[in-house]
Amino acid sequence: MMASRSIVVTIAVGFVILSADGGIAADNERGAQLAAMCASCHRLDGRDKGIPAIVGMDKEKLAEAMAAFKSGARSSSIMHAVALQLSDAETAILAEYLAVQAKESKRQ
Amino acid sequence: MTWTRRKFGGFAGASLVAALHARPTRSQTKARVVVIGGGIGGATVAKYLATTPTKLDVTLVEPKQKYTTCFFSNLYLAGVRSLESLTHDYQTLTQGYGVNVIHDAAAAIDPIAKIVTLAGGNKLAYDRAVVAPGIAFKYDSIEGYDQAATQTIPHAWNAGPQTELLRLQLEGMEDGGLFIIVAPPNPFRCPPGPYERASLVAYYFKQFKPRAKILILDAKDTFFEQDLFEDGWNRHYPGMIEWLPGQFTGGIKSVDVKTRTIRTAGETFNASVANVIPAQIAGELAQRVGVADQSGWCPIDPMTFESKLLPGIHVVGDATDAGDMPKSAFVANSQAKACAFAIAAALTGSGQSAPHLFNTCFTLLAPNDAVSDAINLKPVAGSIKITDIFFSQIGESDEVRRRAAQQAEAWYAAFTRDVFG
Repeated sequence: MMASRSIVVTIAVGFVILSADGGIAADNERGAQLAAMCASCHRLDGRDKGIPAIVGMDKEKLAEAMAAFKSGARSSSIMHAVALQLSDAETAILAEYLAVQAKESKRQ
Repeated sequence: MTWTRRKFGGFAGASLVAALHARPTRSQTKARVVVIGGGIGGATVAKYLATTPTKLDVTLVEPKQKYTTCFFSNLYLAGVRSLESLTHDYQTLTQGYGVNVIHDAAAAIDPIAKIVTLAGGNKLAYDRAVVAPGIAFKYDSIEGYDQAATQTIPHAWNAGPQTELLRLQLEGMEDGGLFIIVAPPNPFRCPPGPYERASLVAYYFKQFKPRAKILILDAKDTFFEQDLFEDGWNRHYPGMIEWLPGQFTGGIKSVDVKTRTIRTAGETFNASVANVIPAQIAGELAQRVGVADQSGWCPIDPMTFESKLLPGIHVVGDATDAGDMPKSAFVANSQAKACAFAIAAALTGSGQSAPHLFNTCFTLLAPNDAVSDAINLKPVAGSIKITDIFFSQIGESDEVRRRAAQQAEAWYAAFTRDVFG
């Protein structure tokens, strides 16, 4: 009985970890997919050649910028359209993803 | 998943999770995707499939060693950009991303056995195939204009030798000559393209042949961003460009290659240099393998870009009938990413998010005067619909337009890097 109970506990812990891991993994993959949309114009190696670099951007700043483009407080018809496409949740996932990418490129 | 675990390997119990959820890999072989066509759509699909966390075996089939972009090739006609600067190879896709690039043509696809046969005889088995054949020309749409005629009167609607031939003819034209552009009916590759071409050739004429004229004989009665173009023509090239709609001419009927004569229903025009851009359909391979329908274009599922006619084969780029999506390089790139993520999701059995579909095009009225559009699109009831659309406005300051032209340059560099690595 002891043995089987400990297996149950182990499996339960496993599922808790799995859902945390799965959530982050899903966000990360979604972040990569959203960033792919950005990559049509913004270089994801962080180099700025006239179109601003977005990797290395603070995630709050990126979210603020997207909100300003969405409301029209910052003017750019292209970024206004992009901002309209993204929900707040998607913008947050994207900002998180781009911030992590920046850390990684600094490490290299 | 492997990639995620490696990245978040610091979590306690991660290895336990891995052990509980270790799935047998499919007989140790990676799923195989064969992409046919190394233009913007095909190259983007190949690259994004190769970078997906699910490791896939990605093959790109393209006869040519290098690809010259149609977009920005009007700047070459204007004399401000070299063709080399618009030419890209597949080395980064091969060396940086592990895409297996085969320089051969696809001869046939067996959608049941799932095998692509190459012109050279090799056979490639696939789990999914992507066809990105671009466009073909309907040479029967204007009498006298066939493939042979393109050697005298170029279409220059695929960039490369055709564009060079047109530039050579424009350079050789006498001052005071007439350059005629025959513009195609909808739908066609790059809706602003013929009119941007008129603008940038006018830019060249203004400097070197100021008495030259440009006449656009259009199959259509209106065209994309017409007000922005007409405003730009009046400001930059007053009196140089004339546009005649189809309802005025009665339509373009025939071309005489020897005399460079173009006959409409009502009139005959003699060109010093002519550029005939014929009506278009999906590229020849699409017709041959049966992913194109009677319209000549390829119907697709708007979520996955899988052919509605042949399951297991996806189509991206100009060849698709994708509802409201214009035929642009940007759209091909946007579709290709949605397609790559959908294929990766299908091959791993994971869920797919609704794709973000977007288009933006920079259009040059002069090298320092660019306008843009921005279009949001989304899958609706089996097709793709525009949800938002924004255009540059008439009356914007020179500074705004100059900055847009600089952005266009920066966009070209970033975009071609996104596609070709």
